Amino acid sequence: MRAASQRMIWLTVIALAVFFLFFRSGLDFDYVIPKRLARLAAMILGGICIAWSSIAFQTLTGNRILTPAIMGYEAVYLLLQSLLVLAMGTQSLVALGANGNFFVSVLLMLGYSWILHRWLFRNGGQNVYFVLLVGLVLTMVIGTFTQFVQLKTSPGEFSILLGFTQASFGRAEPGQLLVSAALVAAVCLAGFRSLPTLDVILLGRDQAISLGVDHRRTVRLHLALIAVLVAVSTSLLGPTAFMGIFIANTAYAQARSRRHRITLPTGCAISVGIFILAQLAVEHVFNYKTTVGILVNLVCGGWFLATMARTRGTA
Amino acid sequence: MRAGLSALFVVLCGISLLIGARQMAWSQLFSLSGDAWLTLTASRLPRLAALTLTGIGLSVCGVILQHIVRNKFVEPATSGGLDAAKLGILVAMTLAPSIGTVGRMLFALGFCFAASLVFVAIVRRVKFKNTILVPVIGLMYGGVLSALAEFHAYRNNILQSMQGWLLGDFSKIVQGNYELVYLILPIVALTYLYAHRFTVVGMGEGMASSLGLNYSATVALGLMLVAVTVSATVITVGAIPFVGLVIPNLVALHYGDNLSRTLPVVALGGASLLLFCDIVGRLLIYPFEVPIGLTAGGMGGVLFLALILWKHR
Repeated sequence: MRAASQRMIWLTVIALAVFFLFFRSGLDFDYVIPKRLARLAAMILGGICIAWSSIAFQTLTGNRILTPAIMGYEAVYLLLQSLLVLAMGTQSLVALGANGNFFVSVLLMLGYSWILHRWLFRNGGQNVYFVLLVGLVLTMVIGTFTQFVQLKTSPGEFSILLGFTQASFGRAEPGQLLVSAALVAAVCLAGFRSLPTLDVILLGRDQAISLGVDHRRTVRLHLALIAVLVAVSTSLLGPTAFMGIFIANTAYAQARSRRHRITLPTGCAISVGIFILAQLAVEHVFNYKTTVGILVNLVCGGWFLATMARTRGTA
Repeated sequence: MRAGLSALFVVLCGISLLIGARQMAWSQLFSLSGDAWLTLTASRLPRLAALTLTGIGLSVCGVILQHIVRNKFVEPATSGGLDAAKLGILVAMTLAPSIGTVGRMLFALGFCFAASLVFVAIVRRVKFKNTILVPVIGLMYGGVLSALAEFHAYRNNILQSMQGWLLGDFSKIVQGNYELVYLILPIVALTYLYAHRFTVVGMGEGMASSLGLNYSATVALGLMLVAVTVSATVITVGAIPFVGLVIPNLVALHYGDNLSRTLPVVALGGASLLLFCDIVGRLLIYPFEVPIGLTAGGMGGVLFLALILWKHR
């Protein structure tokens, strides 16, 4: 039963991907389809990053409404982009180049996660909520600052900044895709072997330790992996805000299990599927009059809140 | 302590009247006419009044919301209220472009009230493991509301101007376009009148009902007061974060949660914080101005971080 529903999800996602590639393409293998392949690759990479980082993070923190995205990572990214546009204007694009911006963003977010990491472990690793509060305040402060920058820039510069502040798949260059794919593959290889350990950590810190897990080491390893994934997804796609919460919770519901060997692939499939659907809607229904980020926030956020209220869930 | 705060407030008021891009000849003032008198009555005094009232209104709003939701981290910015007001103004602008400021405010008011009711309903239905998760849900809810607004604004290509009028800014306040802010006065009076009831609401539904309070009516009244204040401030000056968060928490640390006693301190504190942020914003790049949304966001954020770091120790 479970295997059948898993297969259904994967078949749906593959069908969606094929549809996305060929729908109204005129079978133009020189321009349309390579472009779409690049976007599809960005979606798959981003989907894996978001699903993996959210589910692993929720396991480590034992909480179902936390994701790394709201711990301040995206605020740091947005601050960098606003500062670049404010300080150098549109020339920042020329000076850094798309790849330069990508690498600077990844490095910055890795640096932020190193700081976070030190804070999380200062008093025995029980500071998640404190870090969350700091992340929320940072998000609000930097949000105000970004608003100010957006007010000061000319409409032309604003539209460039808008490209960075809204999630989209169109801006990924082949070089970035290759680097991201390599990073994601490395993370998957490093993390896949210790997935059963994550299952044990899900039981709680004390239980995991008495079952013989080196809690501190495992948490460190996975936080580092999460940092790489968040950095890749944010600089590849832009901020996705609360999407991770929706993905993780839908994955738990669909998989009807909390074993990571099952929930992680399910989560990846769901997020890739949602990305393809949103991109299809943007391209063919709304005719580029909206963005993937707006649609995802609207539908995923609304759906998640409605389910929470309807089922009287625990947050 | 209270006397000190009052003195600080008066000093800040004085400084706020003294600085501005236009040099005033104070000797002219006694003739009650001329350039200096015009500057004072048309620009400086309206600005002072708007600043004070907004500061009072926002901090009182924060207190009411925190009592209703029973969470110290809730304010209009972390409960979807601001985003709902923004959405309301946007809807008013596109549906009825000629409706005028009052009409827009009514739209903002309606959206903000409805959104706050929904937020309270959601918070009451969900079980929270930690109090910090309440504002997470609130921010998520605000994210959904502002995604609705952005969806609309992106289609009409007004996203940048929307960001612009949402950032708190007092530089446009002159005689004739700020008077809506006086709506905050009756709101504060009403809050003071019902302060005891809000204190009881803060003890939870069971306790409030057994003390003979009509719980849902009081909650609805409180949310209505918040909605009026938020929509009036968003329409006249824009969004200012953290005032409703920092001041009530600082006051509660010293004076506890008895609203009828703490409300004057909260109001004075909110007004002083806004005045201070405004003075800094006016002096930083004199004779130009940094919008208060930015200075208040920065300073409020730093104050709040310091507060939680200190509590955490």
